[in-house]
Amino acid sequence: MKNQFDYIIVGGGVAAATTAKGLLEHKHDTSILILEAGPEIIAKDRRFWWDYITRGERPYTFTYDQKFEADSTGNIDYQTDGVRVKAYGGSTMHWGAWCLRFRPEDFNLFTNTGEGADWPINYEDLETYYNDAEAFLSVCGDDNANWVPRSKPYPVPPFEWTAADGEMIKAWEQLDVVYQDGDINPGKKSKIQSGKMPIARYRKCMTTGTCKYCPIGGRFNAQYVLDDLKNDTRFINFEVRVNSPVHQVNVSSKSKIESVTYTDNLSGNEYTVKGSTIILASGAYNVPKLLRASKNEFWKDGIGNDHDLVGRFVVSHSMLNVVGKASSNPNGWFQEYDFPTLMSHSYNTKEHQKKGKIFMFKNRTTPNVDIAQLMIDGKTREEIDEIVYGEMTINIQAFLEEKGKHRNRLEAKPGKDRFGLPQTTVHFSRTEEEMKNANDRLKLLEQIIEKMGLEVTSSRVDKPGGHHTTGTARMGTSPENSVTDKFMKVHNTDNLYVCSNAAFPTGSAVNPTLTLTAMAFRLVNHLIEKQTNQTNSNTNNANKTNTIQECLSRESN
Amino acid sequence: MNKELTSIGGPVCNETLPAGLIFAEGQSLTHQNKEALWEIFEAIGTNWSNTIYNSNNQRSSWYEMLKAKTENAPNYAGEYVNAIYVINELKAMYGTGGAYKKLFFESGLDNSAPPTTRLAHCKIYVVNEFIRMQITAGGFKSWGTKYGGEQARNYHGFLGGTRYNRTPRVRAYDPDTNNLKNNQE
Repeated sequence: MKNQFDYIIVGGGVAAATTAKGLLEHKHDTSILILEAGPEIIAKDRRFWWDYITRGERPYTFTYDQKFEADSTGNIDYQTDGVRVKAYGGSTMHWGAWCLRFRPEDFNLFTNTGEGADWPINYEDLETYYNDAEAFLSVCGDDNANWVPRSKPYPVPPFEWTAADGEMIKAWEQLDVVYQDGDINPGKKSKIQSGKMPIARYRKCMTTGTCKYCPIGGRFNAQYVLDDLKNDTRFINFEVRVNSPVHQVNVSSKSKIESVTYTDNLSGNEYTVKGSTIILASGAYNVPKLLRASKNEFWKDGIGNDHDLVGRFVVSHSMLNVVGKASSNPNGWFQEYDFPTLMSHSYNTKEHQKKGKIFMFKNRTTPNVDIAQLMIDGKTREEIDEIVYGEMTINIQAFLEEKGKHRNRLEAKPGKDRFGLPQTTVHFSRTEEEMKNANDRLKLLEQIIEKMGLEVTSSRVDKPGGHHTTGTARMGTSPENSVTDKFMKVHNTDNLYVCSNAAFPTGSAVNPTLTLTAMAFRLVNHLIEKQTNQTNSNTNNANKTNTIQECLSRESN
Repeated sequence: MNKELTSIGGPVCNETLPAGLIFAEGQSLTHQNKEALWEIFEAIGTNWSNTIYNSNNQRSSWYEMLKAKTENAPNYAGEYVNAIYVINELKAMYGTGGAYKKLFFESGLDNSAPPTTRLAHCKIYVVNEFIRMQITAGGFKSWGTKYGGEQARNYHGFLGGTRYNRTPRVRAYDPDTNNLKNNQE
């Protein structure tokens, strides 16, 4: 079995797929090994799909963290169970495929608010890579949307608003942005704008509404990309090993990373493979645990952890959730897609950054009537008609941006999961001010529901969770304030990179995957440039040596 | 075991079984079995009036599901044959139409409880799954039009889209015509 590669990538999700594809497209014979801890779960399988339709079962849920494998401490429960897929393809096996760019102010959070952190790069540094990422993920978006600067149109037209979105659009049109205590520039106001949710797809969407297990490969899944790479005859040195958890990164000096050690879960054998460059792309949970577990004579507290920063600054999103009720639904509406189509960025702006930006959207499943369940329960046609056209529930939700804090930390706890990965504890607390801000933001959502003529029946701030965890090996300008540099290279190493949400200094108010993909494209560009410079340097050195030898040869003659 | 669950049936329906899927690896359905099962599927459409034309529009999808569930583990063949036993007994007791009415509307079963009788196995593993299949395969379309509303185009599980962009995938928001009914209410 081959044990020396140009690149070793730990993790088999979207970051790994993007990076591997970029490197291979640049140089076809590049040798790359991807090590994925989880198994391969078959996609687009008809039996799996029918079981999902008829029984609600999804074939990858057995890979989720169990509650006892991933707990939390602090003044609020941090949901870590059931949020990440540990399998070939990673969490794109189950993601919603919402693809939103971070906004320019997200890269300057500390400068703007005195809290959280700044990125060592700006939005402008990433903008062209966002274009690449949107093309790669085939993002369906609205070119007329102006909520974020962009230099290229979306590659695919947007999904239209559904009929059921209409009432919320009208309510938004009637509401001004209401500034709350703590918002910046309270004198400046603008209308709440409606937007169309950008969604990634891989092939033409046939709207089955079963995005959580797409039967036709319509929703983007990193597994499809990795399959394509494996089957491409140009890429003869590309290999993926599943069931292969990495538990140690090995060094030959402080700066030189030499290899990784993993276990083949099926045979029980342990292997060490060497890589010229090692990329940790295994997510914001696994990356910090692996770094801290990799202790040696040069890194007493784990690689990159000389300043005790690995695993700190956990950032998540809190979900704001307001439900409204109407007495009737004469059109028999329900949300026909399995994802939200209506969104607003009116509170996802710099003015709202101090208090906490929110990204609002109409919930992906309301209004809805589970007609089949009513039939199963023995309701007659007439009774179901009453329900379909009767009381209607609509839910508005928002992600609330949170700011990284030193005391909030993710770390390994004793014991391993079924895949041989260390279990997790998240220490996470919110401040009283954050709780107050979240509740204030809820009031805006309640106003929208009331403007729609609905009665508010529920209004709550859901617990934070691991769905969008970022910040656990964050980028920065020095080892004193961060784990990685602006190219996501671990400080004081030559060849160890983190390509993960872990490297994000802030989490914005939107989903992180598009930004992660853009960062992966940027990393590919950096690695290619680095490789080119090394090649040129080696060529120059060789030329110099040849010249000296020629001179010596002439002198001796 | 939930005793009232068995109230509509005779000795076959009432026979107790473990709650898990009836073991059937290596078994396959006969043509006659499939015809009997198709009758259940058709009866669902008839009893809820939720097929716009007739159930035959869904036959190929239904058959594909049957094939997937009996040619891959875990094999449903045992459940399907059990359902036929149950229906036969109910038919003998109530006649064909009455049997389905009893099964669909008056079974008294707790659909969330583990099935521990032949009747409960029939309802949970076969009838309930056929209902979900029928709705997601297009049965939902019959709802939404009662008050002159636009027909729903999509539902979770429905392959409603096409490769042609001109075919609308869902009822889309049209500010000029949408929401009129709600405004009039």
